[in-house]
Amino acid sequence: MKVEQALRLLPDLEALMPLRGLLLASARPDQRLQWGSGGPYLTVGKHAVEPGELTRGMAPVLSLITEHIGALYRAYVEALEAQERGEPADAVAALLGAGRLEARVGRLEQASAWYEVALALAEGLQDRRPEIETLLALGGVCLAHGWYAEGARHYQRALVLAEAEFDQGGAIDACVGLGCVAFERAEWAGAQAWYGRALRLVETGGDRLRLGRIEHQLGLLARRQGDLAAAGEHLRRARECFEALAAGREMALVLDAQGELDAALGRAESAAAAYREALAWLRREGRDVELDVTIRLHLAELLLEAGRALEAEEEMRRAEQLAISSNLAHRLVQIYARLGTLRGGQGDETGFVFFEQAIELCRALGCPPAEEARVYHAYGLFRSRFGGAGRDEARAYLERAREIFQSLGVEAEVERVRAELQELTA
Amino acid sequence: MRALRVLAVGGEGGAGALQSLRQWAAELRVELECAADLPRATRLLAGGRWDVVIAVLGERADEELTWWMDTLRAAPAPPPPRLVAIADRPSMGLVLRAEKLGVLDLLTIPLRRSDVAHALDSVRSAVTELPVPLPSVELNAVGQYALVGQSPAMLDVYKLMARVANSAATVLIQGESGTGKEVVARAIHLHGPAAAGPFVAVNCAAIPENLLESELFGHEKGAFTGAVARKIGRFEQAGGGTLFLDEVADMSLALQAKILRAVQEREIERVGGTETLPVTVRLIAATNRNLRDAIADGKFREDLYYRLAVVVIDLPRLADRGDDLLLLISHFAQQFGERSGKRITAISDRALELLRSRQWVGNVRELRNVMERAVILANDAALRTEHLPEEIRGEEASLPERGQGTLATLAELEARHIARVLAHTGGQIGAAAEILGIHRNTLTRKMKEYGL
Repeated sequence: MKVEQALRLLPDLEALMPLRGLLLASARPDQRLQWGSGGPYLTVGKHAVEPGELTRGMAPVLSLITEHIGALYRAYVEALEAQERGEPADAVAALLGAGRLEARVGRLEQASAWYEVALALAEGLQDRRPEIETLLALGGVCLAHGWYAEGARHYQRALVLAEAEFDQGGAIDACVGLGCVAFERAEWAGAQAWYGRALRLVETGGDRLRLGRIEHQLGLLARRQGDLAAAGEHLRRARECFEALAAGREMALVLDAQGELDAALGRAESAAAAYREALAWLRREGRDVELDVTIRLHLAELLLEAGRALEAEEEMRRAEQLAISSNLAHRLVQIYARLGTLRGGQGDETGFVFFEQAIELCRALGCPPAEEARVYHAYGLFRSRFGGAGRDEARAYLERAREIFQSLGVEAEVERVRAELQELTA
Repeated sequence: MRALRVLAVGGEGGAGALQSLRQWAAELRVELECAADLPRATRLLAGGRWDVVIAVLGERADEELTWWMDTLRAAPAPPPPRLVAIADRPSMGLVLRAEKLGVLDLLTIPLRRSDVAHALDSVRSAVTELPVPLPSVELNAVGQYALVGQSPAMLDVYKLMARVANSAATVLIQGESGTGKEVVARAIHLHGPAAAGPFVAVNCAAIPENLLESELFGHEKGAFTGAVARKIGRFEQAGGGTLFLDEVADMSLALQAKILRAVQEREIERVGGTETLPVTVRLIAATNRNLRDAIADGKFREDLYYRLAVVVIDLPRLADRGDDLLLLISHFAQQFGERSGKRITAISDRALELLRSRQWVGNVRELRNVMERAVILANDAALRTEHLPEEIRGEEASLPERGQGTLATLAELEARHIARVLAHTGGQIGAAAEILGIHRNTLTRKMKEYGL
């Protein structure tokens, strides 16, 4: 049975989300289809799934769910006990812990619910540090979900409190969070100001991990602003900090950014080497499939720019396989949008199937609106390549993307899409 | 002969192996560099040309093998270095996986000098490959596509194509995946009465089931969620030309009924529309399945089959086309060579032998893919085994003269065959058990036993 058929039999219930995940993770490309004319367009929906395999996969999934729910219940009981003991700060810590567990498995709205309860409790405490910590956690969830305005409010409050409490770490994290919100909304000057403030604070404290992270963010910002030399310098400093600490994941992140920078500078070999080294750090560190997928997609883009479409597609397909087998179906959205764009570049109209699959996954998995907007945007551009009646569809998709970006307050993206729409009409 | 450049990578518990390799470097006639961990190794790899990487695998040996092959494939100076992996007590599954991935050799700890020497000798022997000149190819070009082949099976196909092209008859093209059904369909279109009209291809296997109807017949704005604008369907787009329905057996029965109606009544309606539109297309359908079996299983409508199969063209498998393989190799070498500014005039005897011994599940499409990659990697006028994908090079051990010279045990043969069948079914245990003729529980037990 094909996954698309199996999904039609699964009601859209929250309790069944892990089963949906298991179904997608059990999907296997049918080798007999791989070489068929539909092979280049295969998506997870066309993969095969065996009911028997689902049954076998159920026990470990159910045990993980039991473990997860058990940990949440325990955290709740811990919070109750702490309250009874008259130690509300510990209760906040327990609730925060539960939220972090939810965030770790990508359940952002659930994480947010735990953090909100923790915040209500923390607000009544004399010690403001639990409140700062909670606000930072809430800011992080909002940022990840694309609720930028709300995220900014949480970070702003955390900053005020941290400064009042002389909590330097909290103040730095709040500034970085505010910088990240501004960065996501393409407000470069704002991001620069917040990162700059964080940098000044961290330089007095000598916290190399935080320093490295800020330098990394500044590097990303400088690249977006087109100052590639400054970006290189920031990334070099970030790398120095992380390498000294042997912080593998951070090294991988910075090397990934370095790869993107090298690619922008036309240094394809250096870029490939940076991506490969990033993957090596990740491998050394253990599994971080999310980041692995991101790096592979960047590597694929690099190959594509070098006109090596075959290898680019192979890299994207590896990322797809990794995302499927690691139960990271949400990453398929991005992968399929890129595969669709790749086909568009090859003048292949059937590539629309990738965007349709990406949209379907966005709906099924409740992806963040920013992600959905990016898919509609890419789909609109894809359709506009083929002219004719496709222009109406292109316009409709671009308008949908603009609406979503507008609702998120990402003005730079709204403007960009507006310009593309005008060009399409002209 | 120059010394081989070898990069040895330690990892967890690899210090002893690296120490041994350092001691043997002179005797083994290699220039050896050692890296204690993966990040250092990738830096060294990026900085120079290496012939062989010897990597000590850790606890997740299987994943590491894949990681290494990915990394080496992307080495900056092609051809990529060969991988010799070292593992502590490797399972049969790991051995087979290594073979499948094209790992040069999988050695065990404690490391023996003779094993390392044997692995390195097989790299050195690669230079003894002899070039076979590629023949010139006469093409029957169809736009950017080409029909290549002079085998009796293909000559029969050409004759049938010539007979049907001038008529407006509906044609059903049957053949395994990658045998060139679309190329044949295009050729029929270009040599037929509708040549001046468009050729519109629809891949029924690629398009999600719920979208296929609107793709074929079009839809009106708002006909369903996602119908953001009016869409002209492929039947309309192909007006006055040819509509090619590829992988027609992948359609649902409901849609088959609608296609039948369109073919019989020569008219369609857009989804959500009321206007009736005339159908003015020549229909060519193709499938890689046996439609008679599909009819017997109740998955394909018999009446539609007879409507489509007015003329049936069966395309042969690549494995049944004899010397067409060499012609196709030559054609693709020329095609991809022109694209990348290279002139490929020969293929080594060993590489040709490997290609000849392959099953070619994906037929010409698979060969095309292999050749595209090989031409990218080639750095002179001849293609050699080092330019072939790892999974093909991995079969080198099964060729005569280069095997281990020892006879396999029954268990080894069984494990190998199970692994091959699992690869064929894409890891689907049920389908594999069916092919092997054993119960799925037995298969699961054997997979566990062999570490597959």
